Amino acid sequence: MNFASRSVFTSDAINPIVIKELRQAVQSRFVIAALLTLLTIQIVAIGIYILASGGSLFGFDAGRQAFLMLFAILQVIGMLFVPLYTAVRLAAERSDTNVDLLFITTIKPRSIIAGKMFAALTLTALIYSACMPFMAFTYFLRGIDLPSIFISLGVGFVVVVACAQAAVFVALIPVNRAFKVIFGLIALIIFGIAYFATMAGVSGVVTRGVVGRDFWQGIIIIGLVICFLVGLFFVMSVALIMPAASNRALAVRLFITAAWLLMGVAALTNGSIEKDHSPVIVWLVMFEIIFALAIFAAVSERDQPGRRVLRSIPQSRPGRAQAFFFFSGAANGLTWASVMIALTLAVVWVWGKLFPIHGNVGDLFNSAKWMGGMCLYFFCYAMTGALLRRRLFSRVKTEATWLIGVILLAVGSVAPFLIGYIVFFNDQWWKEDFDAWWVGNPFAWGNKGHRVLYASVAGLWAALVAAMSLPWFIERVKSFRPATRVVESDAFEIR
Amino acid sequence: MKVEIVNLKKHFGATRAVDDVSFAFSSGQVVGFVGPNGAGKTTTMRILATLDEPTVGDALIDGVSVVEEPERARQLVGYVPDSLPTHRDMSVHEYLDFFARAYGLKGGRREKVIESVEEFTGLVVIRDKMLVALSKGMKQRVSLARALLHDPPVLIMDEPAAGLDPRARIELRELLRVLSSQGKAILISSHILTELAEICHAAVIIERGSVLMAGAIGDLLASGAPHRTVLIRVTSERERLYRELLETPRVEKASLAGEEIAVEINGDEEACCDLLAALISRGHRVVEFKQQRANLEEIFMNVTKGAVQ
Repeated sequence: MNFASRSVFTSDAINPIVIKELRQAVQSRFVIAALLTLLTIQIVAIGIYILASGGSLFGFDAGRQAFLMLFAILQVIGMLFVPLYTAVRLAAERSDTNVDLLFITTIKPRSIIAGKMFAALTLTALIYSACMPFMAFTYFLRGIDLPSIFISLGVGFVVVVACAQAAVFVALIPVNRAFKVIFGLIALIIFGIAYFATMAGVSGVVTRGVVGRDFWQGIIIIGLVICFLVGLFFVMSVALIMPAASNRALAVRLFITAAWLLMGVAALTNGSIEKDHSPVIVWLVMFEIIFALAIFAAVSERDQPGRRVLRSIPQSRPGRAQAFFFFSGAANGLTWASVMIALTLAVVWVWGKLFPIHGNVGDLFNSAKWMGGMCLYFFCYAMTGALLRRRLFSRVKTEATWLIGVILLAVGSVAPFLIGYIVFFNDQWWKEDFDAWWVGNPFAWGNKGHRVLYASVAGLWAALVAAMSLPWFIERVKSFRPATRVVESDAFEIR
Repeated sequence: MKVEIVNLKKHFGATRAVDDVSFAFSSGQVVGFVGPNGAGKTTTMRILATLDEPTVGDALIDGVSVVEEPERARQLVGYVPDSLPTHRDMSVHEYLDFFARAYGLKGGRREKVIESVEEFTGLVVIRDKMLVALSKGMKQRVSLARALLHDPPVLIMDEPAAGLDPRARIELRELLRVLSSQGKAILISSHILTELAEICHAAVIIERGSVLMAGAIGDLLASGAPHRTVLIRVTSERERLYRELLETPRVEKASLAGEEIAVEINGDEEACCDLLAALISRGHRVVEFKQQRANLEEIFMNVTKGAVQ
């Protein structure tokens, strides 16, 4: 294979989205301006630092301080610019006023998201490469070693890519512009938190150096969590751009279930080796939050799966049972999320009973009660929202059911407390026992004294909404059968 | 190759954008899709292009369902939307190259296809121009070129002539003629009905999501005018001819219209021939004898009420 044919082969092998995105990026004034601004700021910052340092420039931590300053600038630009650029472009392409013809080509949805992400990755690499000489320069100022520099840059790079993937997901959420702005701001706050966490982590790395078992253990755990989140946002983004009639939920549920299993095994193994329940607690909290949110996503799914989904349902009863668990559909999603919540709690309970000698078994059970209670309330609010939409607000789109649930959650979380405060604020018993009025708040399970009350209310409520939704659920289960194609054309033919 | 739209319904809440639309057409046919704004044309076309999913019904392209197998259907359809390409920081050639890659065209074949499409649509001279710098007519050509890249047997064109100047319209019409002669099945919506009548073999008139009338253009024109109107011009004795016409059997009405006499005949084209023969046999010096046919615009105005949802 000669050079020309090799280059054609390579060009053909690259995802078309990557080529398009990079072609646009290199011709974009916005990208060029951002890159030049970053370099200018870096030059000015290092110049000012050198001029202002005087004698301390020859101290033992001059390189470390200069590196942290440059890294802070690089990370701000990276965590703002790359996600914003990627997300805004994607949102504009997906807007109603601009039919994105990409979605009528034969390119697969996962290739579209992978292409967007690879382009974001390349852009991030470009920014990091441009800043690399400044970072390497700090090595000559002393107080920092090269492994610390490269590990820190690696961590920063991964965080920027994770933020870009999260931004892609936010850009694809099917809501109007106002909600998109709200979600964007929420994402920005989370990115802010991630920024300070990254800075704290990198500061620790350059101060203590890349040594010790704890360091690598931390890096591996954080790396795994970031990989999981990037993967989760990736499969969810792919699901969002798949045709509405397709089996959008399948990949998402399979991914989360597989991650739940793998990370669960890892947490349990690590916990038993270290004789510590902390890894299991982290696993429990992370996945219970995901499953609780999945309930809201499930009630916003279609009641009746699309024809493409129905056609792919297996004929056999066991196959159908498995498919019901993972396929798209509101009832399917609810079943999956509820079973996974129950399974997680069951695993934790059995684990706690098997290893009661570990020091923090109390924390394990406490976390399980807290998470279980939170999930129960999330179930109540989401199901009540779904019931209200079906019976009272039938004009509201199914996709917006989560919003009714969220509004109920917001009202239910504070309304009892406010009512109690307004009506009884002068009463002595209110002052002594006002925590009881947090009933309805999924996040108030820290009040151990009132857990029985909270659990009783949530349990009764859950039983009631489940009973009221039972006919709907049975109907969905019955209709979950493989469909055969019945399109018979009797269309009038124009001659 | 046959395109079948079968009992198609699309509801947005209480609004029935498309309400039980059915029709079919085949290769080599250019079908005009006519209707007032909000009639459901774009929704139907978006469903055909796999961009939307119908509430009920289906569309089959060569037997491939756009609902159940959208990936396969996309290989068979080229879609030209009513919005023009707006990609920033991209030249015409880069834009076409990107879509050719997205359709899976590889290596030398991709280059050849792009070149031939650019040549066919007259884009060769502007291939390195940025998309945003193009005129509306040129953007429309780029849009058509993009839709032709994977050589689809079916073309769906939503208002392709909107906003084009007369020259661009004529050029587009010529391109469509060539595409039709190549055997492509073309569904085209437009508000410019006179132009549709010139390009299309058939038309479907739709309003409030329902088909009001569909058929070959000739049949539609005939059905729109049960009485034939003939304009006659003679060199002399116009008054005598007028009086004679009033007494001629099958002539329902005659009126003087400038130099001509407008005659309404109750009958088919044979009746028109008989009248002309009778006039000549009576010694009238006939210079012009032309049948005034109802045009698509009149039919459209007759059958639609201008109602939107």
